[in-house]
Amino acid sequence: MNNNLLIHTPEGFRDTYGTDLQSKRILMDKLRDVFTGYSYREIQTPVVEFFDVFGSDVGTTPSNELFKFFDRNGYTLVLRPDFTPSVARAVAMHFTKDDFPLKLFYEGSTFVNSQEYQLNLKESTQMGVELIGDGSASADAEVLLLTCDLLKKAGLTEFQVSVGENDYFKALAEDSGLDEERIEEVRRMISNKNFFGVDNMLDSDETPADIREAFVHLPQLFGGKEVLDRAEQYAANEGAQKAVSRLREIEKEISGSGNEKYISFDFSLLSKYHYYTGVIFSAFTYGTGEPVAKGGRYDRLLGHFGTDAPAVGVGVYIDQLRNALIRQGILH
Amino acid sequence: MRYLTIALTKGRLADKTLELFRKVGIASAGADDKETRKLIFTNEEMKVRFFLAKGTDVPTYVAYGAADIGIVGRDTILEEGRKIYEVLDLGYGKCRMCICGPLSAKEILNSGAEFRVATKYPNIAKDYFHNRKHQTVEIIKMNGSIELAPIVGLSEVICDIVETGTTLKENGLHVLEEVCDLSARVVVNQVSMKMENERITELIRKLMEALNED
Repeated sequence: MNNNLLIHTPEGFRDTYGTDLQSKRILMDKLRDVFTGYSYREIQTPVVEFFDVFGSDVGTTPSNELFKFFDRNGYTLVLRPDFTPSVARAVAMHFTKDDFPLKLFYEGSTFVNSQEYQLNLKESTQMGVELIGDGSASADAEVLLLTCDLLKKAGLTEFQVSVGENDYFKALAEDSGLDEERIEEVRRMISNKNFFGVDNMLDSDETPADIREAFVHLPQLFGGKEVLDRAEQYAANEGAQKAVSRLREIEKEISGSGNEKYISFDFSLLSKYHYYTGVIFSAFTYGTGEPVAKGGRYDRLLGHFGTDAPAVGVGVYIDQLRNALIRQGILH
Repeated sequence: MRYLTIALTKGRLADKTLELFRKVGIASAGADDKETRKLIFTNEEMKVRFFLAKGTDVPTYVAYGAADIGIVGRDTILEEGRKIYEVLDLGYGKCRMCICGPLSAKEILNSGAEFRVATKYPNIAKDYFHNRKHQTVEIIKMNGSIELAPIVGLSEVICDIVETGTTLKENGLHVLEEVCDLSARVVVNQVSMKMENERITELIRKLMEALNED
């Protein structure tokens, strides 16, 4: 290799040092204090996992965005693109139901081989928690409140945590009579908040009137508490109604905590990660074009690794968060 | 209150959009003065500012949050593939993305043989041929006068925007296949949509009302 190339890092990777690294460490220390304050304990998992941990039936990062290589026996290995499946695997391996509810936090690098990812970085730092073995709405609420506390502790004063329910759309889609490809199109339009496209698109399909009505309104089903009433109105089947009442329960748990103003509801929030099964959420703030934290419930993920247990968690994108803090003048 | 920043596509779309903005009361003095060298215009009353940018840059401004809202053709949105919300079809700037060429190229399109496509929109062309038609094609990225390509033998067909079809006709080319319909769209940054939800939804509602009046 040419010597001029040797001193550069590969595209998407970078060195961190000096005051930059110092301020990053201080930020991470603050977040760690919040984790331990909520009695979460640390877990470390390897950077490398078998491909199947992140495979398509788990429903995580697309295969072409994983860094892949082989071990001596010819098995495909990947650099972890996301912590949640790794932690789920580790829990299935080392813990039993007697240990539940299990509260774990993690920190480290994740790797995604895509230009379109966070800040175009291929290696990015994440910190987060997983609350395993508790399927209740209060567990959802705990993780949401923890997210608010993390962002406040980091120094943010203006942010919004948008809370959605994956099952609302899923339940409606099941009764829509559309094939998988069409459902994917509708999903894309709804998560793009295309206010009018869904209506035009469904013109040629024989979707039941009440489901169609819900799909048409879904891109605009976001905002404060009143959104829950509107969502209830369009909840055309039992699954969708259940999704709304779950969010109502969570809303009740949160009210009075002082964090209500940071939390809003968004039924058009649909995750790319298929392992999410219930509540999902993203945290937004000024100064960065993308969420600074993402999380949700994944009640079937541990089942893939042989232990059935409900779970909920959140991950904070440290590099995004730092950028937001710097651009808002909170951090230098 | 924070400024809402709007990125407009320079050219024909901007004229139409400024007219629409005047109707809903957010246009500011000086924005339609063609001689001006000013890049950014502010409406202090509504705390809105807007600027004109090259079409292909509008989704970039919006994706990074440098602009909260953008007005841009659907062709650019599809080509750039940025993570932005596409909330409203403004209905003007209507045209179609088409595969065009001499009539003799029609056979090649369906023959299963490999052929060349010249285009300003490599991503749209690739998606159309690879994912929708399942054909292997060679895509040649160009920056202007796409119609020339089949005439001088650079490619068999082109993938380009067709508005009236006059340019095609004058050069002996025809629309062979339609890829999709295009028009001007309102796009919104994901974070802005959450953080400034009320102001943005209100603005979109006003734009919609003004459109329905026409």
